[in-house]
This record gives sequence, C-alpha cells and structure tokens, in this order.
Amino acid sequence: MAIRLKPVDVAVIGLGAVGGVAVLPLAKAGLRVAGIEAGTWLDPHSYKADEIYNNVRSQVTSGNKVRTEIPTFRTSDTQKSRQGATHPMMNGIGGTSIHYHAQSWRLNPWDFQARSASIKRYGANSIPQGTTLEDWPLTYADLEPYYDLVEYEVGVSGKAGNIMGKLDALGNVYEGPRRREYPMPALRQTDFTGMMGEAARKLGWKPFHGPAAINSQPYGGRAACGYHGYCDRGGCHLSAKNSTAVTTIPAAMKTKHLAIHDNANVRRIEVDANGRVSGVTYLKGGKEYFLPAKVVLVGTYTYENTRLLLLSQSKPFRRGLSNNHGQVGRHYFGHWEAQGGTSVTALFPVDLNIWYGAIAQNVTCDDWADDNFDHSGLGFIGGASIQVNTEKHPIGAAAMSTFGRAPAWGPKWKAFMRENAGRWVGSYVQTNTFPYENTWIDLDPDVKDPLGDPVARVTSGPKVNEQRAAMHVQSKMEEWFRAAGAIEVQKSTPNGPAITTHAYGGTRMGTNPETNVVDQWGFSHEAPNLGVIGASVMGSSGARNPTLTAQALAWRTAEHLIKNWKAIAS
Amino acid sequence: MPASKESWNPTRREVLVTTAFVPLAALVASAQTPAGALTPAQKSTLEAFLDRLCPKDESGPGAVECGAANYIDRVLAGPNAGEKSAFAEGLAALDVAAAGSFATLSGEQRDALITSFEAGTAANFANARAFFNRARRLMLEGMFSDPHYGGNTGFAGWDLIHYPGPRLAVAPEDQKMNVAPKPYRASAWGSQNGH
Repeated sequence: MAIRLKPVDVAVIGLGAVGGVAVLPLAKAGLRVAGIEAGTWLDPHSYKADEIYNNVRSQVTSGNKVRTEIPTFRTSDTQKSRQGATHPMMNGIGGTSIHYHAQSWRLNPWDFQARSASIKRYGANSIPQGTTLEDWPLTYADLEPYYDLVEYEVGVSGKAGNIMGKLDALGNVYEGPRRREYPMPALRQTDFTGMMGEAARKLGWKPFHGPAAINSQPYGGRAACGYHGYCDRGGCHLSAKNSTAVTTIPAAMKTKHLAIHDNANVRRIEVDANGRVSGVTYLKGGKEYFLPAKVVLVGTYTYENTRLLLLSQSKPFRRGLSNNHGQVGRHYFGHWEAQGGTSVTALFPVDLNIWYGAIAQNVTCDDWADDNFDHSGLGFIGGASIQVNTEKHPIGAAAMSTFGRAPAWGPKWKAFMRENAGRWVGSYVQTNTFPYENTWIDLDPDVKDPLGDPVARVTSGPKVNEQRAAMHVQSKMEEWFRAAGAIEVQKSTPNGPAITTHAYGGTRMGTNPETNVVDQWGFSHEAPNLGVIGASVMGSSGARNPTLTAQALAWRTAEHLIKNWKAIAS
Repeated sequence: MPASKESWNPTRREVLVTTAFVPLAALVASAQTPAGALTPAQKSTLEAFLDRLCPKDESGPGAVECGAANYIDRVLAGPNAGEKSAFAEGLAALDVAAAGSFATLSGEQRDALITSFEAGTAANFANARAFFNRARRLMLEGMFSDPHYGGNTGFAGWDLIHYPGPRLAVAPEDQKMNVAPKPYRASAWGSQNGH
C-alpha cells in the first residue's frame, strides 16, 4: 500500500519551466506547496563546453525518466506508430529550462484572436480546412501583466519595440504594447548579426534582437553571459541562463513554504467519489507514496500532461481525468519550425565567425509573421518569424551540406568543408501553427514504459495552411540571405515536426467545455481543483518560442488560485 | 539527392534514419571507456576506409591523422557499444566486397567500393548506405570533438576548420567576422592532451 504523506495545499507536478514558476506566487501567498519532480538538482559545475557531451550524447539530460517514455509518432491513424531514440525534454529541478535556448518571447496580440481576426479581415473562407482553431479565452492585454512579472522575476534581456503604444524601431514594432522596458538590454550584437540586420533594413524590413532569459549584465545576483557558445542543449556553468532552477525555485524555497519531492515518479492523480482531485501517487526509491493535496497543478510538459490525465482513470472519469468530453489529447500540434523542416541554410563567401555566442544571440524579423502583412490571395493565414543566430559547434559545422558544390567525401569534399565549415549558417523560420482534427495525442496500445504504463502516441496529419505559410516565408528568408551576400541558399520542404520541444495543446484552454479541457484560468472544466500549466493549454503557437507565454499563463493560473482559494480548494 | 557524388545534402529523413541506426541502449549505456572495441584487422579496414573519405593532403591531416579511427574504436567499446556489432558488420562487408582485405586495395579500388556503399548498391549488404552514413558521421565526431574522447589528435581537426576552441569567456572582438580568434587549445575537460 502507498505510504500516506502529510497533506499539502497545492501539489505541483513537475518543477520545470512552468511548475518552477507557479510555485513562487503560491509559496509567497503562504500556501503549503509540494513540488514533485522526476529528476533532482543538477550541479552547474557538471555542465561542459563540449559538443559530444551536450549535443551528441545529450548528457545533460541522460539517465532521466523521460527516456523511458518517449512518445511514439505516426502521420495517420492507418499507420503503425514508431518510437524514436531520444526525447527532447528532460527531468531535473528546472527541467528543460536548464538546457533550452532561453528565447523568451511574448506572443503578439493577433495570436490570441487569430480566428476572429482572420474572418474579419479575409472572410470565413480564410480559416484553414480541418482546423479546430478557436480564439483564446483571453487577450494579449489580459496576459501582459504576467509577461511583465515573469520577465522581471526570471530576468529577460531584450529591447522593447512598443512601450504603452510608443514604438521604437530598435525593438520589435509588431509586438503588443508593454508597460515598460525589459529589465536588461538585449544580448550584444555581433558582426554577423549586425550584417544581417543591415541587409534586412535595406529590404525595408524591421530587424531587431530577440529577447532571451539570459543575463546580458549581472542580474538577480547572477553573472552575465560569457557567450562561450555551448548554450544549446547545455546547462550554464555561470547560471547566466535563467532556468527556474536558479531563479523562481530558489526564491520560492526562501519562503519555507515549498517542499521539493525529487526523484519522484508520479503514477496517477487520484480522485474522490465526487470527482474532485484528492492528491498524487508517486514512486520514489521503489516505494509508493500518496500525497494528499487540496489542489493539483500539472506541469509535466505537453506529452506527459495528456498522458498523466489519460492514465488517471477513476469511476468519475472512466476515460481519464477531466476527459468526460473526450478532449484530452485533442487540439495537439507540434510547431512548424526548424525541427519541422522549415529551416533555410546559406553559404557565404566570408568567415562568419559564429562559433561563439548563443542561439538567443540573434537578429529577427517579424515582417512575415502573424498578420503583419496582407494575406489576400495567398491561400493561408499566419506566417513565420525569421531569425539567424550565433553558436556553431565544430562537428555540426563539418557535417554541413555541400550546396551542390562538392561530393560527400574525398579530397574535393575535404577542401570544400575545410574552407566553408565556418561560412554557412542556418535559420529559424517559426511558423504560426494551429490545431487540426487530424492531429492528436492518445495512449499507445503497444509501447509501454518500464512500469507497464502506455507511452503517449502522437498522430500528426498533413497541414496545408502551415506548409504554404512556411514555404512563403522560407522565400523571404532566402531573400534576406541573398541581400546579405549569400552565394548559395538551400530550402527544405517543410512537413511539420515529430516529437518536439515546441509542443502545444492536448489540454486546451477555452470557455467551451465541449471543446476545451481547462477554462480561461487553466482549471479543469470537469475537476474544479485540478489545474493544468504549460504550453498544453495553448490553442495556437504564435510564430515564436513558447516558454515565456507558458510561464506567464502558469503565473496567472497560480494567482487565480490564490485569489479564489476557498472556492477552488474546498 | 545525396546518393550521387555531386553533393552532400542530408535530408531530414536521412538524419532520422541515421539516428535510428543507433539503438537506444547505445545512447544510455555506461560511459566507461575500455581501451578499444576493434581488432587490429578491423581497425586497419576502418583506417583504409577513413583515409579515402578524408585523406591527408597538402591542406593538412586527414581523418586518420586526426585520430578518427581511435575515437571510433573507443566509443564502440564504451557509450556506443550498442552499435558495435552493426559497425563491425559494415567493416566485414567492406572486406567481403574487396574479396579479402579492403586495406590492401589500391586507392581507386577502395573509392569504387565506397561509392557503392554510399549509393546503397553494394552487393549482398543491405545496410551499406546506413553503414556509410554512420561511419561518415562518426568520422566527423572523431575529427572534430573535444580531444577528451580520443580523436582530434593535438587539436588537428579544430585547426583544419579554424574552430578556435572553447573559451569560457568570449569577448566582443572574438565574434568579429573575417578575424580568426587566436586558437585556444584546451579540452573542456581540463587537459591539453585528452587523457
């Protein structure tokens, strides 16, 4: 039998990018908070400036629970699903915010109302066939205060483009109005990002430096970024990358109201006879524990949020927790970005010297994202942000395409690779992605984890709108590279990602309980003391990285819980 | 497409296939690195293969001189042990295709066989293309990884492509275009020679 632990007010499952944020306002409000995490503390001294360690062997993430529960993937329900060898996420206190690129974006106002705004501007026929897209149940203005809170609490570098309606061309003039400047200036410009910025301005576009949860100067008692070039899939030995492990989680611990249950593998969320959540069962050190909680917040990443709800079956919820409307796992989608084949690659006739830096040390254009251009006659809605970055590693550099100029091996290849390993660069084309009927998560009938529980299975069908949008903006990326002097440009055919670090939906947020799992505050339409945090509540991706939006939503969910404690917890 | 010798442009599908060639067990296996996985004969076949993929010439050392075979030998005995048998099958297939010893063939003869492996047309070996892609990938790892792992001998690989080495603090002038930062020859593991 499970060992019964002392009851807590709130159990937060997952101490990663979102759970690690939510615990701070909860603990500050004096609630007794338990943070349950499958991993444990990682030592910043263990992080290495080493491509094999970070990128080839993914050793920052090795030995994790996630590796035993990699979601399977297929592109239609007539196909057999396949399980890949690696999981893009990790366990650990701080979670994937330890090794992410730390691009820390607000979505733009259009993303919150993409459906109604598209109908208004282009007519009802503009809505892609098969999409289940709804307007978000909140606007950019509703989320703005929480974006601001997280940017200042975690620490985000950037340059504002719109402060209370006053535009500044050094920042992103397409962004929604923000109440104040970023807490830190943007990461520094390099020769390369400067050259690309100049080329964009020549095209009449509006380039700017993207925001990053990386210290451009000392902040929060932590050092500034050293630009050493091993940020991607690596932890920061300086703690200049603002993972929740070095920001909100330690701040929450200071209140003495956060108890961390690490190395704890959550098996089920338990429910009482009335359909209220009663606590969490987890395995630790071979023993099973039951932690009673008045409220449970699930923040285990998109795939695991759906999986944990579907596994938590009970009399009131026979098809899985909060799934009596059959919506858990629906409205899932992976972001069409570099992992989905949207990248554009260029060869320059000069040494770019982008060995150092960080992916977040970039220059970005939003001119072809969201609804920032006229889509009349184009056959799609949305678009993509485009971006070039620094940070290149030697193995990845040498594994380059030969752009049709050399064979794959032999002396001619060697001469080509030797000259050009430091002269090519990729790009990010991050496409507005929407949910569709042909794309969902369920439990795999065949593939199980070592405990015998089925892993998540992703079915992801074709998306014409996203492919058109991505290809349209790929041509803009090519134009940008050519304007900067590229001598070769290669585009791949985008077809969407498999298992990805930019995964959305499955527990979508919306006012209609028939089509959404959680309400506008992130609480279940069916189990009132269950909240869900993470990008799994997002109903569209925007054209940029998801983490800051997921964090702002998590803070908002926590604050709603604090303000309505009695109504939700009893 | 990459089967031709005209261009190398790995598609996303191939990246996936290449990854899939590595069993999960290989990626999570123990990080212990015993001396080596290959017999002297296997290593000789491997070096004869790598020496054609990336030969030593007037522009600098090749894959063998950069320690790529040594790297592959070591990782197949350690973290990549799960793919050792598949890799050994590939080496054996080279010898079979050579009707004896691949290493004793002339350069031109070796090139012809490698071309057939690259194109996946090698007789009686269905995994020829997967082996070629994997061996090429491991060669790049061996040439350009931190010397800690047994390749990139004397930082020869990094020098070849002008990678200036991991610096823990990078100044603005270290990110200038067309100005090669002074090479900083150090392992991230705190030793000059990787031991």
